[in-house]
Amino acid sequence: MEYSDQSNTDEQIRRFGIYRIIEHLALIALFVVLSVTGLPQKFYYLGISQSVIVILGGIDNLRLFHHLAGVLFAVLVIQHIIANFIGVAFLRWEPAMLVTLKDAQDAFQNVRYYLGLDDRPAQCGRYTYKEKCIYWLIIIGGFQMIISGLVLWFPVTATQYLPGMFIPVSKMVHTSEAMLIFLLVVTWHIYDSVLSPDVFPLNKSIFTGNIGRKQMKRLHPLEMEEKSEAVTAALSGPPGHEMAEDYERMGT
Amino acid sequence: MRAVIRIICIALLLCLVLPAWIPGAEVFAQDRTETTTSKYCIDCHGNKGTVKKFADGSFVLAYIDSHAFNKSVHGTLDCTACHQEFSTGSHPERSFRSKSQYQIMASRRCRDCHSDTAISSRSIHVALLRKEKAGEAIICMNCHSAHMMSRAGAGTVAISEEKNCMGCHSREGMKNFINGEMISTRVDAAEILASPHKDIGCSDCHSGFSAGDHPKNRFGSKREYRHASAEICRRCHYDKYSKMAEGIHYKMLSVGRLDAPTCVDCHGIHAVSSPERNRLSIVKKCAECHRAVYTAYAQSVHGGALLNENNRDVAICTDCHSSHSMQATSSNDFHDEIPDKCSNCHSNQVVMGKYGLSTDVVKTYLSDFHGMTLSLYRKETWRHYGPPPAMAVCTDCHGTHDIARVSGSDMRQMKSKLLKRCSSCHPGASENFPDAWLSHYRPSFTVAPMVFITEQFYRIMLPITIVGILFLVLLDIWRYCKNR
Repeated sequence: MEYSDQSNTDEQIRRFGIYRIIEHLALIALFVVLSVTGLPQKFYYLGISQSVIVILGGIDNLRLFHHLAGVLFAVLVIQHIIANFIGVAFLRWEPAMLVTLKDAQDAFQNVRYYLGLDDRPAQCGRYTYKEKCIYWLIIIGGFQMIISGLVLWFPVTATQYLPGMFIPVSKMVHTSEAMLIFLLVVTWHIYDSVLSPDVFPLNKSIFTGNIGRKQMKRLHPLEMEEKSEAVTAALSGPPGHEMAEDYERMGT
Repeated sequence: MRAVIRIICIALLLCLVLPAWIPGAEVFAQDRTETTTSKYCIDCHGNKGTVKKFADGSFVLAYIDSHAFNKSVHGTLDCTACHQEFSTGSHPERSFRSKSQYQIMASRRCRDCHSDTAISSRSIHVALLRKEKAGEAIICMNCHSAHMMSRAGAGTVAISEEKNCMGCHSREGMKNFINGEMISTRVDAAEILASPHKDIGCSDCHSGFSAGDHPKNRFGSKREYRHASAEICRRCHYDKYSKMAEGIHYKMLSVGRLDAPTCVDCHGIHAVSSPERNRLSIVKKCAECHRAVYTAYAQSVHGGALLNENNRDVAICTDCHSSHSMQATSSNDFHDEIPDKCSNCHSNQVVMGKYGLSTDVVKTYLSDFHGMTLSLYRKETWRHYGPPPAMAVCTDCHGTHDIARVSGSDMRQMKSKLLKRCSSCHPGASENFPDAWLSHYRPSFTVAPMVFITEQFYRIMLPITIVGILFLVLLDIWRYCKNR
């Protein structure tokens, strides 16, 4: 937390609070369980799917695990939405995950940078456009998954209020959206946070809560600039947890 | 001189004894017995084509193969020993109404030497003697031939086994059972010759029976006899028999249900034919016991086509229930295998193409919840928590024996029943519920447009998104490499 000495490049900056760390860990666990129990149902005809189904004790058990994980995922998403509404409304959390025009500009600039038309990459704030993209995919896609999942889980109840056709539609949405989320997470998010040369072998900030100053400057330069004033202010006052608390207050 | 007489006597004695020691001596000895009378008879009766005609137009061959006769058990006898009215000087002209009348008369001559007591040592003769007492004449040559008879039990027969058996079994006769039932012992040789068994002998199936042996088997009832016959079939058709042993009919039999069908009940006894040749006959066979099922089947789309058009493509009993190892239809295994049975025909494009039917029915079923779950249940060789719940299969919606056409008024009727069928597993299902099933159709703009649009949206968006992202990732790596 002490990062007044700017010559120390290994200095760690507090970026995420324990709440976000637990949320992310829970999301990873549920993502893995839902993928392991969901994909074999979509690709049930493959040998590997059938092996997974047998190992997990048959299709009924597999569905039970999938339903349980689905319920926990729904709880996670809903508590996240409620907590953030409250946080933003009453606890001065900064709605940093909201998509702005700058995100589109950043994406555009990055493409230009990749193609050699610009000499520097997009300067991102607390969350890059890539992170926001994955985040909203999980939130919006997650709601689609929860609703379509409930329709598939309780088809008799669902068709008391909805036309019967919603069941095959839900199946289509559930399986296709799952594929979309799964593929984007394993390609883009895993590249961005694990395999990318910027962070390789792993961007540990979401697990430890801390980020190296150098990495912070490279990945989130605007946030770094924005907070240097706060750092200066903090230095003038008594050293302590203000910076960390400030970040934790920022919520998402 | 006395010495010369002695030598002549010894030589004569040797001439009498030696032939009995040298090979072929028997023939030689028998030939010696061919008397002048016999030679006289053979002069005419040795000509092939000599026949004796009877009033009714029937005839017997009067040709005698003297060589064969000499080798027969009666070879030592003179012709006149049996044909007593005839001699070198007398050949009376006799007329008979028919061949059988002649043979009956001739058989009486046999009985002069072969007394009733003597022939009673054979069970077949006992049966014949009983018939004779009842008024039926015995014709010895039906089994033993007229001139080429061999020694009984000598291991060879002068006539073929078929002729031997058919001598009696071509005529009407009855076999009695302990319970008083009777069956005809008459065998139609033409039936056997038309059957796949035409090249095998009687004793190949009726083991223990031969020209010399006719064991007397007593059975409690006709059904017992029929079931015992199945054991005969087992000797050659063991594969089918062992399959049958796994089936419901054998299980019925094993608990004493003699009404359970056995081989001959379906395949026939001597008129065995390949059942595939006549699929209608299979249905009719099953209908003998399963009458109610047949009535429903006859009105179904399958039964109607079979009975009215003799359509060979439609499913018959054995296509679904199998021909030998038929399972109890109440078993879970049987229920779960129904999609396989239907798909045998309904996923065959050649067969379905003839009637304009889609082979998608099986694929759409298997890719939906019920089909997918069922196929996975069937892969679970072990379960921790009891048998899996029943999944809807083809027959749960379409019916079993009363399967109707799924078009026109029949289709509407089927749909009206669908909610009831769904409700049996999904209690509380509303009227909307059956619409969840797309009736085997693949989504399109006309059928299930919502599903179709959703499907197309993801079909287009998903690859574009993933390819786009992969492109960005590659660009990122490329830029990193360039910058180094």
